[in-house]
Amino acid sequence: MLQAPVISARAWKRSTYRFTPELVILLGAALAFICFPYDLGFLTRTLIMMILVLSLDLILGYAGIASLGHAAMYGTGAYAAGLFAIHVTQEPVLGLFAGGAAGALAAWASGLLLLRTHGLAFLMLSIAVAAVLQDLASKVRSVTGGADGLTGITMGPVLGMFEFDLPGRTGFWYACAVLLIVTLSLQTTVNSAFGLALRGIKNSPTRMRAIGTPVYRRLVSAYVIAGAVAGIAGALSAQITALVSIESYSFSLSAEIMVMLILGGSGRLYGAILGTLIFAVIQHVAAAIDPFNWLFVIGVLLLTVVFFAPEGLLSVPIRLIRLARGSS
Amino acid sequence: MKPLQMASVIAGLLAALVTCPSSAETIRVGIIATFSGPNAIWGKQFKEATEVYVAEHGDSINGDKIEFIYKDVAGPNADASKAAAQDLLVRDQVKYLGGFDFTPNALAVAPLITQAKVPAVIFNAATSSINKQSNFFLRTSFTLWQVSVPMANWAAANGAKTVITAVTDYNPGVDAETAFASAFEKKGGKIVSKIRMPLQTTDFAPFMQRIKDSGSDGVFAFLPAGPATFAFTKAYNEGGLKQAGIRFYGTGETDETTIDALGDQATGLVTAYHYSDAHESDLNTAFTAKLKQMFPSSRANLASVGAYDGVHLIYQMIKAAKGDGVKAIEAAKGLAWESPRGPVKLDPETRHVVQNVYIRRVEKDPQGRLINKEFDTVQQVPDLGFNP
Amino acid sequence: MLVALSIIIDGVAYGMILFMISVGLSVTMGLMRIMNLAHGGFALIGGAIAHALTVRLGIDFVPAAILSIMTAVLISFALERIVYRPIYRLGELGQVLATIGVTFIIIAIVNFFLGSTLLPIRPPSFMTGSVTLGFKTLPMHRLIVIGAGAMVLVFLYWLIERTRFGIYLRASVDNHATAAALGINTSKIYAVTFALGAGLAALGGMLGAELLPLEAYYPLRYMVLFLTVVAVGGLGTITGSFAAAMGLGILDTGSRYLLSEFGTIVFFLAVMLLLSARPRGLLGRA
Repeated sequence: MLQAPVISARAWKRSTYRFTPELVILLGAALAFICFPYDLGFLTRTLIMMILVLSLDLILGYAGIASLGHAAMYGTGAYAAGLFAIHVTQEPVLGLFAGGAAGALAAWASGLLLLRTHGLAFLMLSIAVAAVLQDLASKVRSVTGGADGLTGITMGPVLGMFEFDLPGRTGFWYACAVLLIVTLSLQTTVNSAFGLALRGIKNSPTRMRAIGTPVYRRLVSAYVIAGAVAGIAGALSAQITALVSIESYSFSLSAEIMVMLILGGSGRLYGAILGTLIFAVIQHVAAAIDPFNWLFVIGVLLLTVVFFAPEGLLSVPIRLIRLARGSS
Repeated sequence: MKPLQMASVIAGLLAALVTCPSSAETIRVGIIATFSGPNAIWGKQFKEATEVYVAEHGDSINGDKIEFIYKDVAGPNADASKAAAQDLLVRDQVKYLGGFDFTPNALAVAPLITQAKVPAVIFNAATSSINKQSNFFLRTSFTLWQVSVPMANWAAANGAKTVITAVTDYNPGVDAETAFASAFEKKGGKIVSKIRMPLQTTDFAPFMQRIKDSGSDGVFAFLPAGPATFAFTKAYNEGGLKQAGIRFYGTGETDETTIDALGDQATGLVTAYHYSDAHESDLNTAFTAKLKQMFPSSRANLASVGAYDGVHLIYQMIKAAKGDGVKAIEAAKGLAWESPRGPVKLDPETRHVVQNVYIRRVEKDPQGRLINKEFDTVQQVPDLGFNP
Repeated sequence: MLVALSIIIDGVAYGMILFMISVGLSVTMGLMRIMNLAHGGFALIGGAIAHALTVRLGIDFVPAAILSIMTAVLISFALERIVYRPIYRLGELGQVLATIGVTFIIIAIVNFFLGSTLLPIRPPSFMTGSVTLGFKTLPMHRLIVIGAGAMVLVFLYWLIERTRFGIYLRASVDNHATAAALGINTSKIYAVTFALGAGLAALGGMLGAELLPLEAYYPLRYMVLFLTVVAVGGLGTITGSFAAAMGLGILDTGSRYLLSEFGTIVFFLAVMLLLSARPRGLLGRA
């Protein structure tokens, strides 16, 4: 009963109406830039979170792997980019590649082991990987700065042209550009044959195996791509904050981004972006009004979404539009 | 409304806008701290002490109104801290920053405050090196070196020949361990062993057994406030260390927000620290009474006094320099004042507070409340960790 | 030799406490097969009520403990009716998120009423003090927890393996539809089992408070620890959880005696090795 309208809504969206995500992001960003020119710090953090949630969407929404340790790749990317800026070069874009490569490497190394399991075992293993990395980062103080954080990061101008400024304009557009490129690449990925294979694996690994898809290899590839994107998000945060702390590996970050994704709706890229936006705005507003109890609001919202809009909040307008069309 | 009337109203408003700042300004102060999550106690203590100070001293200086803006960063979160500082500086045009419970949160704003020339007063974060990252950092709390060295000296002077250290394995713990060990060895004592306990430890029984087997005269401990401290002191008592005559030396373990939870078992624990809410002075009595009156369920602790003195420092800087950060820092250097913790002075070189460190023992006061009773004083200790 | 003996004694004591705290979770997650991340929430409810009763109202430990377990059971009963019924039908991910939502709400409520500081429970006089074993001192508290843990283990074994209720429960979990068709009132079985899990959580939370001190964020702080015990033990087995708790307790204690510098890394590496070799846990059923 629940599934039918959603599936057809998707089909309808694919066939008749297709707006380009890059345009929406750009418009939204420009609008935010004009309306809230003094909140660029907050907006930039939200953009970075969007990139991280998008990477989680690839493995959770498309490949069906629920991970509670996604911060492992984010943190690795952040430390890699921070160390890269200190020891190699202050060029930000090269730093992003370093962060992405480190995230991909962490995902590949852990994915080879993790992806042989699923369900609870996978969940626990993903948590354990992030916990071990966090402990290592805390321990190797001479390299990472330990619990005080990795300091001494100074970034050069982006592409040699745009200096990071005090109001954070450069940081904002830089993060926005990265988000655009990531969305475009992920859009291409999920619409490719590889993306279709992932959806197939999510629905039935057995069937995919039967038709000759190397399931394990596809999953590892997806995990590595997601790791690279998460690493890029971590690198961005390291460059913009100019400090990396061991909290980049924290379990609560992993759990939070999963909540963001589900709020928006997994399995579609807009869902990841919308969910992050909703979560960030609620946290921002509720924390300003009553920081002690904003957790209550998120808890209620989560239950509401899980029960009444299991496809995420993005499915609500789509369903409404469909309903309106059906009645007219 | 006729167009002419409209124009005159607008002109009037514009005139008001233009003339307003010259007569009286609003000087905004941004407080960045943790108000939600497991560490929300820091933000709560900061905010309450700030409000007590404002209630006592008014919210205007020379006709300028002082306005505090609180920003939640939900725990040790460098990204959030930097973003909050950025938005405070750009949107709210704050002239001063305060707060900073965790070291990474303070370190993250260092480049910003240097660039914007805005003084940032640290109410807590206790790593010595923070103040080296920007000339605009000032600190009214303490550093781990500042309290651990007096503890070591006192232990050495009071019969301890051998001590084992047990600290949580993270930067503050290592700081405390290094400070204690170096001072204790300088006094001719011997550190039998240095135990570093994992951050996630819940069961301290194995460590108690190791401490007991070491046969040393005492144990110096440092753990993060909250559950870890609670479980450690409980294990210290139940592991039979007290009966075995192994003395407990600590710093902030018996702070006023955990001491009630520790209960009677805490009685007798000796610590060296810069503040006890039972400090005997008129100013402290007035401070704690006012806090009790405004927030009946609260007790003053290190975070309260750090914020209270931090706000005092900000008020003094505003008096001297209004919103001019560079002038304000110059005015703050060398400033001396009477704090609820005793006499304090801001070291011109380190911009860190020079203060008395008290040796205290947990006792019951006449009302049956557990307190840190000060019984010995080390006069005017600077930040010993700035150039160790 | 003495060190080895110390490790075993402390490890078993710690493992027993781990078991005591997570046994409630192995009932809901292991037997009922739902991803119940809200388990720590019920431990917190029990502990918070016990704190309010013993410290704020001055009631003795034993009646306060009984009262708070009963309250936790009642709350869980109501929650099962309203919130959990629909959760059973959700997929794994839906269950994870819904129960995280429940956890957030419980934390916010406790935080609202009791604040975010520690919530100590005043223990009765028979639980304080220590027993000396020559070379070791064991807190009385721990001995009582070990006794309680052993009793719970025996009770659960008897309940699940030897009673009609146990047969019904196993049948309901193995095949819901068939069990219902055979006339078993599965929704009643689920409700009772869920309440049993919540009651055990409350008991564990109170008795284990010496090691895992209670405060509003308790459920999130120790969620990973509880999950580890159940995952390592394997779903669907109480004895598996017991074995896992013992194993992890001894491992963790051993690393604290011998390798404390690498404590957490040793722990998680061991869990990783075990789970990658046996994804279903020590005694998990397929």
